[in-house]
Amino acid sequence: MKILQVENLHKSFGHLEVLKGIDMEVMQGEVVTIIGRSGSGKSTLLRCINFLEQPTHGKVMVDGLSVIVERHKLSRDQKQSIHEIRLRTGMVFQEFNLFPHLSVIENLIEAPVIVKRMKKKEAIGIAEMYLDKVGMSAKRNEFPNRLSGGQKQRVAIARALTMQPKVMLFDEPTSALDPELIGEVLEVMRQLADDGMTMLVVSHEMSFAHDVSHRVVFMEEGIIAEEGPPEQLLDDPKNPKTRMFLQRIIGEKQEE
Amino acid sequence: MAAERVLSRTQLVIRQQERQRFMFGVQVIVWWIIILALLFFAFSGIRFSLGPITIKTIALDTEFMKTWAPFISRGVPQTIYISIVSIIFASILALLSALARLSGIPPLVALAGFYVSLIRGTPLLLQIFFFFLALPQIGIRLSGPVAGITALSLNYGAYMSEIFRAGIESVGKGQREAAIALGMTHGQMMRRIVVPQALRLVIPPSGNEFIAMLKDSALVATTGFVQETFWRAQKVGRANFRGLEALAIAAVWYWLMTIMFTTLQARLEQRMARGDR
Repeated sequence: MKILQVENLHKSFGHLEVLKGIDMEVMQGEVVTIIGRSGSGKSTLLRCINFLEQPTHGKVMVDGLSVIVERHKLSRDQKQSIHEIRLRTGMVFQEFNLFPHLSVIENLIEAPVIVKRMKKKEAIGIAEMYLDKVGMSAKRNEFPNRLSGGQKQRVAIARALTMQPKVMLFDEPTSALDPELIGEVLEVMRQLADDGMTMLVVSHEMSFAHDVSHRVVFMEEGIIAEEGPPEQLLDDPKNPKTRMFLQRIIGEKQEE
Repeated sequence: MAAERVLSRTQLVIRQQERQRFMFGVQVIVWWIIILALLFFAFSGIRFSLGPITIKTIALDTEFMKTWAPFISRGVPQTIYISIVSIIFASILALLSALARLSGIPPLVALAGFYVSLIRGTPLLLQIFFFFLALPQIGIRLSGPVAGITALSLNYGAYMSEIFRAGIESVGKGQREAAIALGMTHGQMMRRIVVPQALRLVIPPSGNEFIAMLKDSALVATTGFVQETFWRAQKVGRANFRGLEALAIAAVWYWLMTIMFTTLQARLEQRMARGDR
């Protein structure tokens, strides 16, 4: 069953066309990693799915709810659908974006209580379950500024999960982390994938792309240049641009 | 061995620098004491001769001061009261006008801009008189304190709206995006995520505004019958032709209040700084 679909999606910032017609489908339980150099539009694509950026035109469908954008002004119905889509998608940011004025547990229950009008007690129950899942139960009452980057990101993942989304969007979740902290976040993401969560991940972590994802999408200059199973795309890319991109990464690794 | 010696030399230099800094501080304090002593001397009323020159210091009517100091001092709670009430209303106005300015809704942006521009473009004293003297002409009669508090609130609200706006704007884009991605509406995001963080940033500069307000509250005396410090001082000063003594007492009170609240505010600032990031 396809749970996420993007059709002919375009996004321009002024004269700069960042997405030039993206078509993509993600099946329930599928883990898709999007790779590509910076500026290729991969983050913008992710941000168009939950409308942090409003697409210039095109269609977004999440869990049966679709929004077709044709012009800038959105109708009331479209806005309602966007809200529903946001409730069905969880997003994890590069910079964590935990709320610094709230403790860890408060960060988690804020949206369920305020947005979903869930009872506080019930929200805490769900939040504690996910905190446990990401191994952060011990820091339940800490404030974000007392946590390491890896811990912050794990809390951010738990925060998104507490809204019980159908799809998780990860926007370069390990790019802001010190190298020694990347592992713990990837481990949490791998577990999430094993649990059957549908995940769309923008990342430079080739190990994750290769070992965890079911499919890898390579983006270049606002279009999907190539996609396929990780073994094929990473080990035997057909598109010369993909080959060049991967070659460059290997080059960087060797220089290090 | 060599390393140890280099280290101890560095330590010597550091110690020397610390000593210099400490001595500098001591000197500043000593000069403060000298200046204060000179001030007391100047008002001591002592008269003496150094050869042909007779030195005459200013003599204060201590009898008058003893009699009227309690009367003037009773204005201090009133001054603090007026300032606290006004700063609360001013903060509310500042928050509302900052939110209006950032709302992106044309009539609200215009209204907030108009308010800030008009208030900042006219003297505070005129505003106080306006509420006290101009409004009765159109049938609105405000008592002195109410007119004063209204004017102070409106005036400080306009100035503080910039502080609040900066506070709201300094809450990062990432915070807003996280809230929106979690399904919050614009209003929920502002109320639950942005404003609480902005208020923390706004508290220290608002403390400074409060301290300024303590002194500007004296302007309310011009409406008469506001029993605050300055009003009392100038009233008894005029009645007894002892303006020097009366105003000196009021000045000392304002000074003490400022020192006290500045110290409190500095502590508050320190505590706020520790809380975040």
